[in-house]
Amino acid sequence: MNIKFRVLPIIALAMALLFAPQARAEQRAATAGVDTSAPTINLDKTSLDNGGDFVISGKAPAGSQVYIELWSAEKTVKSNRFDGKKDEKTGKIPYKFYITKDMPAFYKIVAPVEMAGALDKAKAAGKKWKYSEVLKEIGADAAYTVPAKIQIDNYQATVMASILGSRGTLLPPMDEKASKRESMKLVKARFVSVGNLLSAKVETTADGSYSAKVSIRSGLAPGKYSARVTAVTERIKEGDKETVQKITSEVASFENKIAFPTVYLSTAGTSINIIWPFLLASAVTIFGVLMGAGGGFILNPLLLMFFPLPHTVVAGTVMPTVLFAQGTGIVNYSKIKFINWKLGCGIGCAMLVGGFIGPKLTEMITLDQFKFLFGWVLLILAALMFWQTTPGYLANNKKEQAILKEFKKRAAEAVKAKG
Amino acid sequence: MKVDFWGQEFEANMFVGCIGGFLIAIMSSMFGFGGGPFMVPLMTLGLRLPMYIVVGSSLLAIFFNTAMGTMRHYQFGNFDLILFLVMFPAAILGGYIGPIIAKKLSPVVVKRVACAGLIILGAKLLDLY
Repeated sequence: MNIKFRVLPIIALAMALLFAPQARAEQRAATAGVDTSAPTINLDKTSLDNGGDFVISGKAPAGSQVYIELWSAEKTVKSNRFDGKKDEKTGKIPYKFYITKDMPAFYKIVAPVEMAGALDKAKAAGKKWKYSEVLKEIGADAAYTVPAKIQIDNYQATVMASILGSRGTLLPPMDEKASKRESMKLVKARFVSVGNLLSAKVETTADGSYSAKVSIRSGLAPGKYSARVTAVTERIKEGDKETVQKITSEVASFENKIAFPTVYLSTAGTSINIIWPFLLASAVTIFGVLMGAGGGFILNPLLLMFFPLPHTVVAGTVMPTVLFAQGTGIVNYSKIKFINWKLGCGIGCAMLVGGFIGPKLTEMITLDQFKFLFGWVLLILAALMFWQTTPGYLANNKKEQAILKEFKKRAAEAVKAKG
Repeated sequence: MKVDFWGQEFEANMFVGCIGGFLIAIMSSMFGFGGGPFMVPLMTLGLRLPMYIVVGSSLLAIFFNTAMGTMRHYQFGNFDLILFLVMFPAAILGGYIGPIIAKKLSPVVVKRVACAGLIILGAKLLDLY
């Protein structure tokens, strides 16, 4: 019996040694449990005047990576993308057209300061950067939530349907994963550059408090904006798959205010001071009159260069402005019987068909392709303009102008005689 | 096709005219401009018509394109009303001031300036500098 009693403490000791690590593990779990309280979020300003800087701060679990997701909560814009790139696996061209109307007019993820290097690398990659890859690289995919939920319509386009000016047949909605993947491409199609979408500004201290100086540029959508913090506490890598432990804060909001003459263009999704486009359009049309041509071909590239407008909106809005001028021109010419209706309507019918197709193509191409093609159009136009200043052309033109004047005079007299 | 204009008769190749007009219409409605500077050379060079017929008739042809293009852009949701309301008065203002200045300037000089401007703008769009 004695022996038994003497053994007991030893067993107890062994037991204690055996269970101790587990107990310690439990203790750690308990402290982690304290840390999993949601991060707090505070904004030092709740109202901005056409953009500005503000500081987002709060406390996240110690040792976690903090990402801030910022988006425009009220204003949404359209974004679309045409997938005409050959699939390397199947060798087929998908001809798919994706479009959403629910894209937030502003979207940005602010990542920890340490990610600045990765962002610089992405910026250096130029236009070919991939949003989804960069998100993954800086770990910000954990904070990517708002655009992932937007409704995306996808169409199966065909070459024939595009020629006829149709978007194609509407396909059934994509599953959650495919929709999220496509949403990233649409985000990039809409916001284009790395700097617009991502920044690395969040500084964290050892105890988990974080702060980030966020700047909202001028010329963005007005109204309510939202901010939410995602704290990534743990990343477990198993081969290619990564499981992320994260907790999100509540949504904080702030307001972006704009005042006249800065006006929000809802289709374009940007606010601009309307005085500048007005002056630009006046100057260009004056110059257009001097040249004896519209001026849209100068106005459009300049608008694209100076203002953050989508090319579809520029093309779609400048075109109607010349409609009126053309209409009055036609009325004036027809009064003096200076229009050959048969000729004008004949070619006009062909142009009607062309005008039906063109706007569809605007929607299908990206801003970069638009600029590239427009660049060549302008160079051809420059050649045409130059040809019109060569001596041979001028001599011929002088003769024709004289005849034109003579005809106009006769026409005016004829009208007068009748009247 | 025979084109009759103030008692004079001209022969116009409508096949060339329609194909050319069609292509110009696609291009101009895609980029959102009128297309006049392309139509006039097409009708004078391509169809060998004298300038005095071309001036009015090309405007009529372009009007078809602009009207259709406007409708289609509107249909696709590319039309921004506020931007339009800013541009439209500017275009009318330009239309009034332009002819006043035009009398004082040589069209050749204007065209040379335009030519240089277009090259700079085109090169910029092509990212050449």
